[in-house]
Amino acid sequence: MKLWTRREDARLLTGHGRYVADLVVPGCLDAAFVRSRVAHGLIREVDCSAAREVPGVVGAWSAADLSELPVCANEAAHLQDLPPVPRTMLAKLSTEDAVNGREWPSLAKDRVRYAGEAVAVVLGEDRYRAEDGAAEVTYRIDPLPAVVTPAAGAADSVSLFDGLSNVAFRGTAGEPIEEVVWRRAAAVVEARYRQQLLLPTPMECRTILAVPEDGRLTVWSGHQMPHRLRLELAKSLGWPAERVRVVVPDTGGAFGSKSATFPEYVAVVFLAVKLGRPVRWIEDRMESMSVATRGRGQDQRVRLAADEDGRLLAYELEIDADVGAYPHLGVGLPMQTAWMATGPYMTPRVHATVRSVLTNTMVTYPYRGAGRPEATAALERSMDVLARRLGLDPAELRRRNLIPPESFPYQTPTGRRYDSGNYAAALELALETIGYDAWRAEQARRRARPDALPLGIGLACYVERSGGEPGGLHDFAGVEADEDGAIIAHCGAASSGQSHETTFPALVARTLGVDEYRVRLVEGDTDAQPEGLGSFASRSAQVDGAALQNAALLFAERARERAAELWGVPVEEVEWSGGTLYPVRDGSAGMDLTELVKATGPLRVHERFESGMGFPFGAHAAVAEIDTELGVVRVLRLVAVDDSGVVLDPAVVRGQAFGSAVQGIGQALYEGIPYGEDGVPLMANGLLDYLVPTASEIPPIEIKDTCTPSPSTPLGAKGAGESGCIGSPAAIVNAVADALQIADPDLLQMPLTPDVVWRAARAPKYEEA
Amino acid sequence: MKPAAFDYVAPHTVREAVDALGDTWRDVRVLAGGQSLILEMHMRRICPDLVVDINHVAGLDRIGLDDGTVRVGALVRHQVFESPQAVPGPLGRLCANAVVNIAHPPIRTRGTLVGSIAWAHPASEWCAIAVALDAVIEVRSSGGVREIAARDFFLGPLQTARAPDEIITSVRFPLLGGSTGVGFVEHRRTHFCFAQVAVAAAVTVHDGLIVDARIGLANCADRPVRARAAERVLIGADVSAANDHPFADAALAGDHQPVDHPFGDADLAGNRLPADHPFARAGRAAADEDAAPVDEPYADPEYRRQVIAVLVGRTLRQAVADWRSHAEPEGGLR
Repeated sequence: MKLWTRREDARLLTGHGRYVADLVVPGCLDAAFVRSRVAHGLIREVDCSAAREVPGVVGAWSAADLSELPVCANEAAHLQDLPPVPRTMLAKLSTEDAVNGREWPSLAKDRVRYAGEAVAVVLGEDRYRAEDGAAEVTYRIDPLPAVVTPAAGAADSVSLFDGLSNVAFRGTAGEPIEEVVWRRAAAVVEARYRQQLLLPTPMECRTILAVPEDGRLTVWSGHQMPHRLRLELAKSLGWPAERVRVVVPDTGGAFGSKSATFPEYVAVVFLAVKLGRPVRWIEDRMESMSVATRGRGQDQRVRLAADEDGRLLAYELEIDADVGAYPHLGVGLPMQTAWMATGPYMTPRVHATVRSVLTNTMVTYPYRGAGRPEATAALERSMDVLARRLGLDPAELRRRNLIPPESFPYQTPTGRRYDSGNYAAALELALETIGYDAWRAEQARRRARPDALPLGIGLACYVERSGGEPGGLHDFAGVEADEDGAIIAHCGAASSGQSHETTFPALVARTLGVDEYRVRLVEGDTDAQPEGLGSFASRSAQVDGAALQNAALLFAERARERAAELWGVPVEEVEWSGGTLYPVRDGSAGMDLTELVKATGPLRVHERFESGMGFPFGAHAAVAEIDTELGVVRVLRLVAVDDSGVVLDPAVVRGQAFGSAVQGIGQALYEGIPYGEDGVPLMANGLLDYLVPTASEIPPIEIKDTCTPSPSTPLGAKGAGESGCIGSPAAIVNAVADALQIADPDLLQMPLTPDVVWRAARAPKYEEA
Repeated sequence: MKPAAFDYVAPHTVREAVDALGDTWRDVRVLAGGQSLILEMHMRRICPDLVVDINHVAGLDRIGLDDGTVRVGALVRHQVFESPQAVPGPLGRLCANAVVNIAHPPIRTRGTLVGSIAWAHPASEWCAIAVALDAVIEVRSSGGVREIAARDFFLGPLQTARAPDEIITSVRFPLLGGSTGVGFVEHRRTHFCFAQVAVAAAVTVHDGLIVDARIGLANCADRPVRARAAERVLIGADVSAANDHPFADAALAGDHQPVDHPFGDADLAGNRLPADHPFARAGRAAADEDAAPVDEPYADPEYRRQVIAVLVGRTLRQAVADWRSHAEPEGGLR
C-alpha cells in the first residue's frame, strides 16, 4: 500500500528528515557573526578581546585579525562547466566592469555597506557560547549617508565604492523605438511600477558544516548547486576541487536563495581548515531576515502603444534595478526582465533598458521567478490600463495580441526564441475556470449599487523561461546497476524540497519499463556524482529529467550490447523489456538485468546532456473585493492555468503551482522590506514585521494546466517551479485596480497593504468608457 | 537567537516568588506563559539575571468570582477565554471575541492574560479591555499588596507602574450587567501579526438608549487608551436602527478570513454608517480626540485614524447586535 504521496514524505512528514543542523559531529564549533547595526559607514575599530575571555569561546576574529581570509566572491567564474557566477560573464549577464574594484569581503574590512554585514566572527563550543562571545565584541563605525533607493544610488551623491559610480551595469534588449511610433498610436499608456524587494523566506535558513579530515574537507550545506559550492570553496582555499566534498542533506527550501557562496560560508570553511576542527553556521531567522539575499527590487517606467483596434505597436521598459551593496548575480538578473519584456504578445517593437544600481542593502539575487515576475507585472498591469483606455475588455485585448500557436518557434524583438506555446488556450481555460462572464455580471450588479463593496477581476498572461541561459543549459546524469540488480539513478540536480526522490526514479523506471521502487536516486553529493550544475531556473525536470531519460535509454542500449556479446548474437537481435533481455530469434527465456551484471560486472552510464531553453506560459485570473473603508483586499478566487510542457508527476507540479501562487499572493498583498532613512530594515520583530501569507490568508486557488510539449528536449518538459510567483501578482493587482477603477496606475504599488489600497480607493476614478 | 545565561528559580508559593523578586540589584523577570519574554530573551533584548518561573505556584491558575468582579489569576491561559462561559455574562462574550485575535491557538495555550497586562504592549487586546472596563491590577511585594487602577498602570510601550520587586498576582474586572452588549473588532494585515488597531466596546442600553459606554483602543497610542470622548458622544444615543447593517457580522469586520462568496450573496450594501450617525461621530471622536497614533510601517497616523473611526463604528454595531441577541426581557437584570 502506498501510504505517502511522495517517497520523501515518509521521512519528512514524520520528523525523520535530517538537515544540516541535525548532523552531530563530535567537537564541532558553532559560529556566530557580529553584525553591523549601521547600513553604511567607515569601520574605525573592531575589538574582539573581551569575547576571547568568554567561557566556551574558542576564538574571535575581525577582518584585521584574519588578514589571510579569502574574499567572498572570487574568481571561480571561469571554472569549466559552471555557470560562471558571481562574475557571470555568461550570456552577457555581467561584465568585468561591474565587479572590478568592488570586492565583497568575507568580513567587512574598513567599510560596511549593508546593515547586518559581518564585522567579526566568534567560534564557541555551541551556539550559546558563540553568541555570548559575539555580545562582547565592540566596534566603532562612523556612519555615512545610506543609499536606500536605486534613484538615490544612480545620482551618485554618495558612492558605495570610492571613485566608482553606483551604477554597476547597463544593458539593453531590443532596438530603440522611434518617437513617431508613439505619436501615431491611438493609445499610449505610461506608468511607473515598483517591484519591491522581497525575502525568499525558506523554512530552513542557510546552513553550512565544514569537517576537515585526512587532508580533505567535507562540507554539508543546504544548497542548490553543490558542485559550484565545491569549486568556489576549493578556489578560496587554493585547493584542488577533489579535496572538497559537498553534501546536500535534506534542505528546507531555497527559492533561489541558496545557490551562492556567501561570506559566512567562506569564513566557516577557512576557520575549519585553520583550526583543523569541524565548524558550522546555522543561520537563525533574524540573521536570515537581515542578511539573506533579497529578490526583485526594480523601479520600472513603461510605455505601451496600440492602434485603435487594440493591436500592440510598441512597448518600452526602463529598469532601475536595486542590486544591493555588492555586484553579484543580481547585477545581471534584470536582463532577464529585459529579455522577457516582450511577454506573450506579437508586439513588433520592444525595447528594454537596464541600469543596475548599488544600494546599501544585502545583495539582490534570484528569488523564485527571478526577473520574470518583474517583466510580467509591468506588462500585464499596462495591458489592463490600455484595455480601459481603448474601451476593450482586458481579455479581448489580450486575445487580439497573443502569439498564435502556429508562429512557434517565435523570435521576439528582445532576443528570445520561444520554443512552443498555445497562449490563447491557456487564457480561455483560465476565463472558463474562473467564470469570467459571471463575475463581470456580478461586478456590473455591484457597480449599479454605490454602497456595495467594489469587486474586480484581474488577468495576467505570462511567458517565462526555464532551464537556464546558454552555457548553463546542460547537466550530468547517470544510471547504474549494482550486482544485486538495484538500479541507481544519479544526476547533478540538488533538491531543496522539489520531490526529486519521487519524480526521477519514476521517470527512469518508466523509461526502462521496470518497477519504480527498483530505482533509487542519488544526488547532492559531489563524491557520488562527480559533475553537476544543480537546481535553479526551474531546470530540474526539464534538464536533469531529460538527462536521466537519455541516460536510461543509453543504459538499456548498453545492456543489450552486453547481452549480445554474451550470447554471440547481433545487438539488433536482443530486446530489452521490463528489465529483462530477450534473444529475439530463439524465443528462449530472457536474462534479467541482475543476472546480466552478475555475469558481466556492474553496468554504468554517465552522460552530459544539453537542453535548449524552455518557455513555460500560462494565464492567471483573480477576483478580489475591497473593503474601501479599511483598504482590505479579499481575494475571492485565484485561478492559475500553467503550461509546463510534459508533466512528469501531476501532483508534484500542482504542489509547485500552489506554493508559488501563495508566494505570488505574498508579493501582491503582504511582503515588503520597509527601510528607515538610515538604510536599516524596520523588521525588529522578524516575521511579525515581514508578513508572509499563512494558511489563514490563502484564498480558494484553482490550478489547471494545458500541455504543449517543449521541442527543446526529447522529454518535452519545461520548468514548473515558478509559475505562481510570475502570474499571480499581476492578476491580483489588476483585480484591485479593476475594482477601484482608479485612473492612475502608479497609485497601486505592491504590496497592496490596506493603507495603500485605502489611499488608492480615494483617488479619482477613470471615466467609464 | 540564543538567550544569555540566567539563573532560574521555580517557587511554589507567591511568598517565595516575592522573595525572589526582592533582589532589586538584579534584573529579575517573571515567567508565566513566556509568550513575549522568551522571544525577547532569544533576541537578547532582555538578558535577565534571574527568571522566576511561577508555573508551579498553586492557586494562580484560577478565575474567581466575588461581588460583581472577576479575578483572573496570573497563570490563567488565553485559551481559557475562548469559551464565552469562562466568565459570566457579557464580559465572557467580550473576552471570547477578543481572545481569538491573540496569536495562534498553540500560543494561547501558554500565554496568559496577566502576562499580557504585565508586558503592556500597546497593541495588546487585554490591555485595551482593562482600561475600558477600569480593571484593577493586584500586585504583591515583600511590603504587602497594592492595587493599581488600569488607567494608572500603563505608562508607555512596555512600561507600567509595577515596581521591579512586585509581582502581579491577578487582575480584577467588573462583571457586565445583562443589558450590556459587547463588541471586539481588530484590524491587522494577516492573522499572524499585531493589531494595527483593535477596539473593545461595551454599551449598556436602557429603554432603547445608551446609558453607559466603554471603549478601549489598542495600538492607537503608546499605551492602551480608553476613548472617553467617543463614549461621551454615545450617551443618550438611540440604538433602535443601529444594527440594520450586516457589518455586525464579525467575519466582515476588518478580518482577513477568505470569504467564499457565492454569487449574489456578497451583497454588502449599506456597510457605511451615515456621517451623522452617533456611532460614526463616536468613531471620529475616538480617532481625533482619544487616539494619539504613532507612525509605523504600513500604518501612518492618518491611515490609523481612519481605521480607528471605522472600527469604533463597527464595534459599536457589533455591541448593539450582541445586546439585542442577549438582552434579558424588560424588567430583568440590567
